[in-house]
Amino acid sequence: MKKLVLVLLIMALVLPATAAIAQEEPEKGGTFHRGMVISPRGMFNPILYTEAYDADVIVAVFDSLVTVNRELEIVPQIAESWEFSEDGRTLTFYLKEGVKFHDGVELTAEDVKYTFKTIMHPHYTGVRFGDFALVKGAEAYKEGEVDYVEGIEIIDDYTISFTTEEVYAPFLNEFTYGILPSHILEDVPVAELEAHDFNQNPIGAGPFKFVEFRPDQYVVLDGFEDYHQEGPYLDRMVYHILDDEARPVWLRQGRIDYVGISSEQVPMVEALDFVDVFDYEALSYTYICFNLRQERFDDPRIRQAVAYGYDRQTVKDIILDGYGVIANAPMPTASWAYTDEGINEYPFNPDRSIELMEEAGWERGADGVWEKDDMRMEFEFIYTEATRAQEQMMMLFQQNMEDIGFKVHLRPMEFSAAVDRIDAREFDAFTLGWSLGVDPDPYGIWHSTSMWNDAGWVNERSDELIETGRTTVDMDERAEIYAEWQRLMNEELPNVFLMYSVSIVAANERLKGIDDDPGAQGIFWTEILHKLWIPADRQ
Amino acid sequence: MMTYLIRRVLFQGVPVLIGFTFLVFLMINFAPGDPVTHLRGVPDLDPRVIEDRKTQLGLDRPLVVRYFDWVGELLQGNLGRSFDSARRPVADLIRERLPVTILLSVSSIIIGWGIGIPVGIYSARRQYTLSDYSITFLAFVGVSVPNFFFGMVLLYIFALILNVLPAGGYFSPGEEFSFLGMLSYLVMPAFTLGLASIASITRYMRSSLLEVIRQDYLRTARAKGLRERVVIYKHALRNALIPILTLMGFMVPIIFSGAVITEQVFSWPGLGRMVIDATHQRNYPVMMGINLMFGILTFLGNVVADVAYAIADPRIRYD
Repeated sequence: MKKLVLVLLIMALVLPATAAIAQEEPEKGGTFHRGMVISPRGMFNPILYTEAYDADVIVAVFDSLVTVNRELEIVPQIAESWEFSEDGRTLTFYLKEGVKFHDGVELTAEDVKYTFKTIMHPHYTGVRFGDFALVKGAEAYKEGEVDYVEGIEIIDDYTISFTTEEVYAPFLNEFTYGILPSHILEDVPVAELEAHDFNQNPIGAGPFKFVEFRPDQYVVLDGFEDYHQEGPYLDRMVYHILDDEARPVWLRQGRIDYVGISSEQVPMVEALDFVDVFDYEALSYTYICFNLRQERFDDPRIRQAVAYGYDRQTVKDIILDGYGVIANAPMPTASWAYTDEGINEYPFNPDRSIELMEEAGWERGADGVWEKDDMRMEFEFIYTEATRAQEQMMMLFQQNMEDIGFKVHLRPMEFSAAVDRIDAREFDAFTLGWSLGVDPDPYGIWHSTSMWNDAGWVNERSDELIETGRTTVDMDERAEIYAEWQRLMNEELPNVFLMYSVSIVAANERLKGIDDDPGAQGIFWTEILHKLWIPADRQ
Repeated sequence: MMTYLIRRVLFQGVPVLIGFTFLVFLMINFAPGDPVTHLRGVPDLDPRVIEDRKTQLGLDRPLVVRYFDWVGELLQGNLGRSFDSARRPVADLIRERLPVTILLSVSSIIIGWGIGIPVGIYSARRQYTLSDYSITFLAFVGVSVPNFFFGMVLLYIFALILNVLPAGGYFSPGEEFSFLGMLSYLVMPAFTLGLASIASITRYMRSSLLEVIRQDYLRTARAKGLRERVVIYKHALRNALIPILTLMGFMVPIIFSGAVITEQVFSWPGLGRMVIDATHQRNYPVMMGINLMFGILTFLGNVVADVAYAIADPRIRYD
């Protein structure tokens, strides 16, 4: 017995010590220099921006009610907690007390109300209304019929609730937009908000204060002393805008600590002994879309033949240097809704492609191209953005397709021109990519009524699953619904899914507080910005 | 001279610019795609948003009406607001970036002319010698090498290998402005952009001077017993320079369009990156504003060249 006590005692002494070694004590100070290859627009307003480069700055300046953790789950930020009502239609947030904006004014439920009500305002110029259209009374307010939103209710300074017309499971995700200071903006007419100075001199309640923006050059933020969580430890965070080819050299010269890089740059950057390289699967994927309004593409076996016939493994291993994850359904592996159960991986198998075509009743013509009735498997294939890897993929695709009796005419186009053709539905097939949100709801892209359903795919079962998925609040139940939906997509292949992108980032080893086993959000993300730090001897 | 300039600007410049901007306006609007295309990245978009946006941007109005709206605004000194999400005034966007673009362009012109002219003269005076051949060859290479490639080579040598110059960019926040600091950022892009001018001016200067050197009045000058230096610099050069001055008018648009590429390679915060971006995004007001500015600069380049003729050649007079 004595021995056991002794062992326990030793363990108690040793364990915290080892933990302390792994978890170094953050030190205050220093400037974190990060690189970005495209300049923000200067729309530093969480409800008006549309581009990711502005968002990178916004998430540091503005805190939101909730945010997303490494596992893509919703976690508290300004809201301490929240709850759904019995019927699942009312969502109540309990705000932390004493949260301050950068000008010292306290953030209350008024600010929350102002932020979201503005999105529903008839004169609102941004693109977010769709996210809140289900809020009770939002339509009536937007159409100018009433001057209040029935579904928003302030209970006290620190409690606010939002009620929707029907149960809407992804609702909580919409509250990741930063909270605006109503005391500064409430008297600005909503139509004029877009051109207001505030957007270039933003004030939020985030861990960093806005200091200066020089377009195409840099953005400077300073740590905010009165931040409502621990930290921020960094004195300053500077975003440098630089050309993509210059990234390895800037890293080498120590002018930036962190930047995303391309796979070609990996060897060059790995050669730097003070820089670490990380990669992780991002929430975006590429796909081939056939125009299912054309009878010849309508049979799922045609799309399955393409999936079997395109050597995606070679694309991944050779063309992408291994930086890719083969996709067989539109759900990233990082998502909690992802499943591989019952998913066909469509391994490269040209013989299977030919079998499928024969089963579908096609015959090869004199030149080896499939024909059936008056249809012929010869089509134009639109692609955009001619990077070298993309060119190689397209060449391989053309060759692979020729081997299985599909004649492909490649048509490189500039993005806007391609989108024009796609929106007019004047295409045979094209390849593009989607970036997905944190919530797995596929309604926007895949519901048969959605404007982005470019393939023109209509499937009752899919619509049913999508509709049930977004009205089911229980996460396990929802995951089960989406698992079935993925199996359906995997079988029907309304698109031929190609590859989830893998992002590669490089970080100077002096940057601490990062996640060195990154999930879908990379080595740091909004939730932990305030915990980043740089050791005093390397500042 | 003054009346000539006024006439030139009013009766030639203004109509040319009107015609030019109208053509540009038609062309950019006829290009496929439109300024709301990029909203495609938002999967949960309410379809009304796209129509609303088009109305807000005035895209629902007829093309010709939009052009005259633009001219009307322009006459009040207003270039409109950018179509991107930040909706900032185009004049501000240009004002923020123009100074560094001019700094880069003017430096590259100085480099181009400052090196091209003496080297051309040197080469002409030593026609068919080894040095002449070498210069002609190098000039040929210089004209042929694309800007961006030369820029990357410079970056590779001076930033990556030798690590003596910053790998592009301009002043960082907190960095004090200093002339030397500016030079360290400027030298590589300016030489990259200047390379083609050095090369072409060398070639023009050489052939132009050779043309003149063979003429009778120079033989006369030599026969008078003038020293070679005086013959070349006083008598030959002045005449040989006239065709070079013509180049000046042409060079302005070439330099500025070259700047677009060079700025990209060197992360130079000038107009170049904005031009490329505006083109991809179909940001019509920004494209119009920049084209108008380039149009004015090209026109002014030609006027300056004409004035320079009159200075170089007393026979040319404008009344």
